[in-house]
Amino acid sequence: MEFSRVVGTRRSIRFFKSWKPVEREKIQVMFEAANRASRSMNADYFRAIAVNRDDLDAETRDALRNPTTTADLDLAPTYIFWYIDLEYVAGAQDRLKELVEQHALPAAHGWSKAYVDDFLWPQVLEPISKDPNAVIFMGAVETGIGICNAINAAVDQGLGTCMHAFTANEAIKPLLGVPDTWLPVWMQLVGYPAEEPEAGGQRPRRPLSKIFFEGDCRHPWEEDAEVTEHLKREGMIQAPGPFPYRAQEVRMLSRMYGLPE
Amino acid sequence: MTGSRGANGAGGASDGPPPVDLGQFAGSPAVQRWLDQTGGGGDPAERGRALQLLQRFCSFRGTSPDDLVAQCLRATKSGDTAISAVGRRATDEAITAFVATEGLAGHEAIALGNRLRGFLIHNGIFLQGPASIT
Repeated sequence: MEFSRVVGTRRSIRFFKSWKPVEREKIQVMFEAANRASRSMNADYFRAIAVNRDDLDAETRDALRNPTTTADLDLAPTYIFWYIDLEYVAGAQDRLKELVEQHALPAAHGWSKAYVDDFLWPQVLEPISKDPNAVIFMGAVETGIGICNAINAAVDQGLGTCMHAFTANEAIKPLLGVPDTWLPVWMQLVGYPAEEPEAGGQRPRRPLSKIFFEGDCRHPWEEDAEVTEHLKREGMIQAPGPFPYRAQEVRMLSRMYGLPE
Repeated sequence: MTGSRGANGAGGASDGPPPVDLGQFAGSPAVQRWLDQTGGGGDPAERGRALQLLQRFCSFRGTSPDDLVAQCLRATKSGDTAISAVGRRATDEAITAFVATEGLAGHEAIALGNRLRGFLIHNGIFLQGPASIT
């Protein structure tokens, strides 16, 4: 799938084919996409555990359930638990010098091994590593970038996915062997959509002029109509929801799974 | 309870759907809201079954539909109304316990419990039950 169409086709999928497992190779593609994401310090901010629903014992599955997250867990065949590794700063000094050696961080832009060793590490990065708020803030931002790549990789492979609040970490921590230094961020549900991939049409978004600006905050971004039309042809901008049959689609899926209507 | 036109004495020409006979639930804002949100509760027979189910659950809990919703809410220190995690969990567990008394199994049992959850959901209580996947 072309990039524009991947971005345009992404939806939060909430009805999965509960009976159809996700191939392990597709999860690997998602992980590789996340691993290729932009990250400062070339640090490994996140950790993720892929778990197949049907490989979990009843105790673990029940530990994940709560009154607001139960049907989701039944429907999705694969869960990915995303964490920030709060120790991500460790090793940043060596990783940055490695990037200097690769000319990714060149002298042309002020970088040197001496700068990393003598200033950046002792005066900036090491203090950041001791500031919990900064560690969590940076970790959350950078983990989100990685997850975004994983989401798009899922869509590119015909999978559906949805991010869910991850509130059961304490319950499953010992069962999954999660270290104390991992902070839960999101639980990602993955599977094949039982609903149409369009899931009733593209979700409403506010115009670019409400969110983006040009030059300063007083000048909202003005869309170029030709670009907008191009993006419609390429699939980034798609038919808005709800499709006329969306309510019926949801009703029939709900009945199939015995869910509330 | 079935909400038929005859039962309401509302026969004859009408521009909208027939009025719903809520029976003992007449005057219950929570029931009315539920029916409004679900398009009148479907066809009259389906609506009648749904109301009877709610009636049985209310009897099981010894409470009214409006109190069922209220039990899932709490007042915050600032005077706002919030969903009570404790109350919601207790109600969710009560639904599971009630379904066990209905003599159903499998998909039918799950769907029955979720129909009751739907009543709470359409009254603003975010709640999920199990899905029938086997």
